[in-house]
Amino acid sequence: MTRAQRSLYIWLGLAAVLIAFPLLAPVLPLQPTIGMDIPHRFAGPSAANWLGNDEYGRDVLSRIIWGARASLAVAFGSAFCAAVIGTVLGLLGGYFRGITEVLAVRSTEIVICLPPLLLAMLVITILGAGVLTLTVALTILFVPNYTRVVYAATLQTGGLDFVKAQEAMGTHPLKILARTVLPNIVPPLLVQFSLTVASGILLESGLSFLGLGVVPPAPSWGLMIRAARAAMDQQPLLLLWPSLSLAGTVLLLNVICDRLQDVLSPKTAARGGAAWLRRQIKRTPGVPAPEVPLLKIEDLSVGVALEHGSMGLTKGISFEIKPGETMALVGESGSGKTLTGLAMTGLLPNALNVTDGHAWFRTDNGVVDLSALTEDEFGPLRGNEISMVFQDASAALNPVHRIGDQLAEIIQRHRPMPKAQAEEEVVDLLRKVGIPDPERRQRAYPFELSGGQRQRAMIAMAVANAPKLLIADEPTTALDPTIQAQILRLFGKLKDDNPGMGVIFVTHNLAVVKEIATHVSVMYAGQVVEQGTVAEVFADPRHPYTKALLASVPESDAERLESIPGTVPQPGAMPEGCRFAPRCAHAAAACAAPQPLLDTGAGRTTRCLRWADLWKDVA
Amino acid sequence: MLRYVALRVLIALVLVWLVSTLVFLVLHLVPGDPAELLLSAGNTAPDPEAVAQLRSQMGLDRPVLAQYASYIADLTHLDFGVSLRDQNPIAPELALRLPRTLELILAAALIASLIGVPLGTIAAMRDGGWSEKLVSLLASAALSTPVFVVGTTLVLVFAQWLGWISAGGYVPLAEDPARHFALLAMPAATIALPLTAVMIRMTRASVLEVLEKDHVRTARAKGLARGPIIRRHVVRNALVPVITVLGLEMGTLIGGTVLVEYVFNWPGLSGYLVRAVEARDYPEVVGIVLVISFLFVLLNLLIDITYAVLDPRVKLAK
Repeated sequence: MTRAQRSLYIWLGLAAVLIAFPLLAPVLPLQPTIGMDIPHRFAGPSAANWLGNDEYGRDVLSRIIWGARASLAVAFGSAFCAAVIGTVLGLLGGYFRGITEVLAVRSTEIVICLPPLLLAMLVITILGAGVLTLTVALTILFVPNYTRVVYAATLQTGGLDFVKAQEAMGTHPLKILARTVLPNIVPPLLVQFSLTVASGILLESGLSFLGLGVVPPAPSWGLMIRAARAAMDQQPLLLLWPSLSLAGTVLLLNVICDRLQDVLSPKTAARGGAAWLRRQIKRTPGVPAPEVPLLKIEDLSVGVALEHGSMGLTKGISFEIKPGETMALVGESGSGKTLTGLAMTGLLPNALNVTDGHAWFRTDNGVVDLSALTEDEFGPLRGNEISMVFQDASAALNPVHRIGDQLAEIIQRHRPMPKAQAEEEVVDLLRKVGIPDPERRQRAYPFELSGGQRQRAMIAMAVANAPKLLIADEPTTALDPTIQAQILRLFGKLKDDNPGMGVIFVTHNLAVVKEIATHVSVMYAGQVVEQGTVAEVFADPRHPYTKALLASVPESDAERLESIPGTVPQPGAMPEGCRFAPRCAHAAAACAAPQPLLDTGAGRTTRCLRWADLWKDVA
Repeated sequence: MLRYVALRVLIALVLVWLVSTLVFLVLHLVPGDPAELLLSAGNTAPDPEAVAQLRSQMGLDRPVLAQYASYIADLTHLDFGVSLRDQNPIAPELALRLPRTLELILAAALIASLIGVPLGTIAAMRDGGWSEKLVSLLASAALSTPVFVVGTTLVLVFAQWLGWISAGGYVPLAEDPARHFALLAMPAATIALPLTAVMIRMTRASVLEVLEKDHVRTARAKGLARGPIIRRHVVRNALVPVITVLGLEMGTLIGGTVLVEYVFNWPGLSGYLVRAVEARDYPEVVGIVLVISFLFVLLNLLIDITYAVLDPRVKLAK
């Protein structure tokens, strides 16, 4: 039994105990609810009358318990009748569609156009007050709720394969409805039932309170509150008991309804909300900052926090970028290249964090460790000295703000200026990234632009404050090939405009690497396996994975395309030694030990132990 | 935008017609003779002479279709007929009381939004923390307590015990503005309470969802501080579904006014309705139910338009 189920059963048990009292009222030793006892008017609680006496000297406890019978009879009665009628209508409408659907479903929805209490009052005007009238009125009110729920669920279930199969075998439709569809709609029905019972109790007591429901002298919580209100200066306690009973009952039903929903549709989202909104403890790197030209990543590891400890996702990433260089991070999906980019801007998803290493970055005010900054410390850097271009611009731009406003926002955040001046800059920026008619387009919402234009706007946002470091996360992946080429040319142009800007370009596309980058880090299963300049690595790969990757690209010179056998190992099940060994044709016994990044001279590194034996002769 | 509004207005008009028809049908769908039903109480058979008189007075002796035609024709002139009790026309009374009920509803919606949205946002931002648990608990309690219990308790505490304010009543705005708003405060707060709870729950769920969105990460990547991110990129986006729920809750809200106007002796439509139902004055009840339903449709129309202003994408759909 899960925790949610246990919680549901506890609350249901409590409800059962409470319902037992009014059900057993005739056999409980209760005082009569009718009849007067004038000497004991407004008497307080006593041994004989635990909750005291009301304005006619009647026992309050006994009236509370008998009053519950009226509320429960009306609420359960109308919820049950409405459930039966609504379910039949919903099933018929959802299964047969067409004219049945209009008659059964759409017609009941008109009832929803009337505020609930009003329809009940209309019915009471015609039929006169009383328990039976109330039940009829509430049944009419609740039918559409059930019809809607059942109709929607029937539409869903009716389209499922096993229902279609039964239809094909010629099973009678009513039989299918009763045997197959009905059991599948029980969960939403249960939720609806608990909701309508709660609402029925509220409506019954409300109408009785107005004097339009249960007819005195029969006891009812609503009537008791009505009477207590008239006498509240004499005995305020009389108001308390029925109010508590009423609110408590409805609260109990609401809690059961919530628990029921928890059990029926367990929430998958982790609780805890956004970590970046919480107060963060300032951390210090622990080691003195080294002198770096622009960015130096040292042994950076990212892990996901689990219930017990954490699981490593990337391990020991190291590389360096000097002003003006473009470093491509390349690898298959899941290799950790995007995480590395996000870790440098403190934008890792909730449960993920940097577990080890440093990311030294030269800001205008000295060298800082990006992996140890708090959200507040990142503020002046992000969008100013370091900026990011995300993969999916349609999701990364805010759908409800105009493009121009979103651009002006980043400009004014880091360089305060009047609105008109910012708007001028926005237009210039949009023109620079190749958006036609920028004066008009800056007034457009993201959904009004094409995919390529959205990505251009995203890029304009990233370069608005002439950053020192631009991190582009698969900026062309979601685009058409022709648009991809244009966006790559745009990156080239922006580099020419701002030659000191370092770029980290995350991609899985080797052709893109060749076109845009000066340096490349090949990543595999959370590690860097080879590094060097693009020209050298492409001409002379020194890791079997790089070689295999190059051979699998259509544009390469290989005679035939090769695929890499096997799959990337899962984060929880990384091999102890070389992570590529299980898929490598050259794996040897020594590869079973952890592999360091080897310096192969001339600024190149590889994580392959056997690089020298394998390729010395070729090189 | 204009096309969207025109379409919404058209849909609202169709709804008004459907509701009017439904209200007309209720009397005729109930088994038995309507005039007899309206005059019967308990098990005593009504006086046949009175039944015949009521029948001709309400036009029930004419063919049903003819009754329907003149009913709809009268409605287009905003003619709601005359009261059975005193033969006075109903429309002027409705016109007098409608603004008072509307004021109550708008004040309650305003209070609920001003409190519910910030509290819901805080609950989402502090998800799992003690402030979130406290806010959620208060919301559950507020949702489970009937408005007339809340109203009566407020009267007991603030009018009877503390004596800060009179137990109820109404003073026109032009006569004494300060007293007008003082008397508005308690009924408006009472109606607002459950609505605030709904707003808190919805805002919390909606903000939690928006916080997961990519564009919030973009806002952080721009270097914005928490405040502007929450205001411009989270709450603004999260409001769209919250507004929809406000529309769905409008029915409960209007139902709530019936009880609250009674508790606080507020001379709006609903107090009038309770007396009309007590007297079983059918034309009056129909008139009030229709006006409140029209109000309901109108408020939903306003919400649809707000929706389009908040989310520019809505205008394109449909």
